[in-house]
Amino acid sequence: MVTTAYFAGEADAQMEMEMRGRTPVWGTGISRRTLLKGTGAAALAAAMGPHLNVRATTFQTPTVNISGTELKILQWSHFVPTYDTWFDNFVKEWGAANGVTTTVDHINTADVPAAIAAEISAGQGHDLLEHIVPVAQYGPAMLDMTDVVQEVTNRHGPQLDLAKRNSFNPTTNTYYAFNHGYAPDPANFRKSLWEQAGFPNGPATFDELLEGGGKIMNEQGVQMGIGMSNEVDSNMAAQAMLWAFGGSVQDENENVVINSPETIAAVEYMARLFEAAMTPEVFGWNAASNNQLMIAGQASYILNSISAYRTAQGDQPDVAKDVFFGTPLVGPAGQERALAHGHAVFNYMIPKHSKFPDTAKEFLFHLVANYDQAADQSKLYNFPSFPSTVPNLTQEGGPLDNDPFGSEPANKLASLKTAEQWTTNLGWPGPANPAIGEVFGSFILPNMMARTARGEMSAADSVAQAEKDTLPIFEKWRAEGLIGGGQ
Amino acid sequence: MSTIAATPPPETRERRYLLDREGVLGPLMLLPAVVYIIALVGFPLGLAIAYSLSDVTIGDQGLDWVGFRNFVDVAKNGTFQKALRNTFLFTLASQVLVLTLANILALVLSSDFKGKRLVRFLILLPWTTPIALGAIGWLWLLDSVYSPIDWVLRQVNLLGPGTIFGPRGNMYWTAKADLAQLSVLLIHTWRTLPLATVILLAGLTAIPQDVKDAANVDGAGFWRQLIYIRIPLLLPIMAVATLFGMVFTFTDMTVVYVLTRGGPIDNTQVLASWAYFKGIEGGNLAQGAAIAMFLFPVLVGVAVLMLRMARRTETT
Repeated sequence: MVTTAYFAGEADAQMEMEMRGRTPVWGTGISRRTLLKGTGAAALAAAMGPHLNVRATTFQTPTVNISGTELKILQWSHFVPTYDTWFDNFVKEWGAANGVTTTVDHINTADVPAAIAAEISAGQGHDLLEHIVPVAQYGPAMLDMTDVVQEVTNRHGPQLDLAKRNSFNPTTNTYYAFNHGYAPDPANFRKSLWEQAGFPNGPATFDELLEGGGKIMNEQGVQMGIGMSNEVDSNMAAQAMLWAFGGSVQDENENVVINSPETIAAVEYMARLFEAAMTPEVFGWNAASNNQLMIAGQASYILNSISAYRTAQGDQPDVAKDVFFGTPLVGPAGQERALAHGHAVFNYMIPKHSKFPDTAKEFLFHLVANYDQAADQSKLYNFPSFPSTVPNLTQEGGPLDNDPFGSEPANKLASLKTAEQWTTNLGWPGPANPAIGEVFGSFILPNMMARTARGEMSAADSVAQAEKDTLPIFEKWRAEGLIGGGQ
Repeated sequence: MSTIAATPPPETRERRYLLDREGVLGPLMLLPAVVYIIALVGFPLGLAIAYSLSDVTIGDQGLDWVGFRNFVDVAKNGTFQKALRNTFLFTLASQVLVLTLANILALVLSSDFKGKRLVRFLILLPWTTPIALGAIGWLWLLDSVYSPIDWVLRQVNLLGPGTIFGPRGNMYWTAKADLAQLSVLLIHTWRTLPLATVILLAGLTAIPQDVKDAANVDGAGFWRQLIYIRIPLLLPIMAVATLFGMVFTFTDMTVVYVLTRGGPIDNTQVLASWAYFKGIEGGNLAQGAAIAMFLFPVLVGVAVLMLRMARRTETT
């Protein structure tokens, strides 16, 4: 069944479609062809299994006239390729239904910042830019998305706090991006290995990680893989470890507080963990390396989204069967600070040079309205920032309890049901601001860990070095008026 | 039938007269080159200088002047100091290697043997491969899990428990500081060796035959000929090859970006990659430009040397 909600201009939309030479299905505003496609997609989805109770595409009449405009989207190549295939078609159908010429360009996620920077400098390019890490440092060149957040909130209920904190700059009081979803960052562990080490459900605390990981390394010869390298996963792992030990890079008021006994304890712990359970490879990794190690069956424990597991399901089914998921580990600071980043946070930005910002906003409304499809086509990689759009995702007996994509056992992803509680933003307890963005871009945290793990510096010296590198970054962005703090 | 000589109209005559004047035609012919240099070299350079003296960011490209503050901040940073050192290390060490190997290769390739053309083709291949593709190939070869080089080492019992390269099953090429630096160095050598070889090969073939004949008649052996004839005569062309190699290596960020992203612990960071991480990924365009400006003095020096050599060639 095709559901279509109308907010305004039904007759206008009907007329536009007739003028474009397509026969509208009266009362819906979409063409017969689109209707048939939508119905076909629904039938296909039904035939494929339970999935997410995915509804057929919902088309809404735009709040402004966007017919005859263009929409050019630049975004990352999704880690789950089926998403891109679906998305391209989804955009095309929306464009056809609204008389908008659409283009979608996908590039490697590592190349997105450079592409955005080039477009800002040129003052032209795409109308919608998506990156999976908050780039508040690009904020001044982007439109404030407050109106989009408000409109979507009106339609679908409140946005998750973690989504707001990953896209809102409290100093400038603007949404530099619109966050539509995130990917949880659970622990991935090999059950058979941890069972033999006496932890059948994987480690729950950092102490257990050290004990069990060391045992597995010594007795079974399999290392764990938590990166300490110049790449994004290492940044996230280091940040999560700081939190669990009671430290952080900044406080809630955006002051640098990295040099603390808690951070030093986290760095010392990481050195012990490396010594007990890892090999030097973690110093030379790129973002794909921990996935590769897990898929190769050579890692007992990594921190990653479910994408590595989804790949293993296809390429190494035996390994995939043995991969299970856990929530963030509890450290000395207790359960409250057992947190993880969103492994990816899906932020769309509209650059100020966009020729058709209203068209871009209308598309975002459309995307959120159909987010059940996004979650489904990403094989449950994408979690919604507006939970009402995928109502059954985290419900008891929902897809995380009964994975429609062939997990054995079917409830393997059940620990992700609480992801909303333990996922937070880049730079917590402060906001995801430009300074934190540059700290991540300069790999200060993984290098802080690595210097001590390699025996090059004591933990205290390494943390002091990290503070020395971090302070000028915060001062710079504070002078730009983009972050608060400074007291 | 009468013929009427066509008399060009006065304006055409005047134009032709103008074009006959060297003072007009010369600058006119040079104009495209000048426009090209201003647009594609001068303007970006000027912009980079302006950026480095301002507080420009990716998000806010307004230029508020801050003097030399960016240079001071950048110079104080430990990673920058590593990047500066590594840039010189990779450039100088790779060019020493390239020069040595290119001389050997050029000598081998200048002699006659079966399959010479195939060997020349294979040696030239790395130069024809886009550097990004080449670096990705090396990334796979040096992978921490699947490295074929490690596999070969294991097969010949050089890697693994009780072997010369240690007990582990992998070398971890990009994870250990010394091996990562060696890897970057060797890839730069692999990449610039073909060009240097071709340049030196051209130089070798240009050595007059009578000089070689005279040396043979005098009974000079291989080493004597190499040290007293070939190397001295090849010196100018070796300098050209070295200068080209230096420019390519000194300014390159692709190898480091693809292979190590500057790691481990920034031990392979170079000026170009650090400028990118600071300026583009970090959004701090001003500091990125300031870091890149440290490349400038060396490149100016190399350019001056090249121009001098070109002038010397013109006059001799």
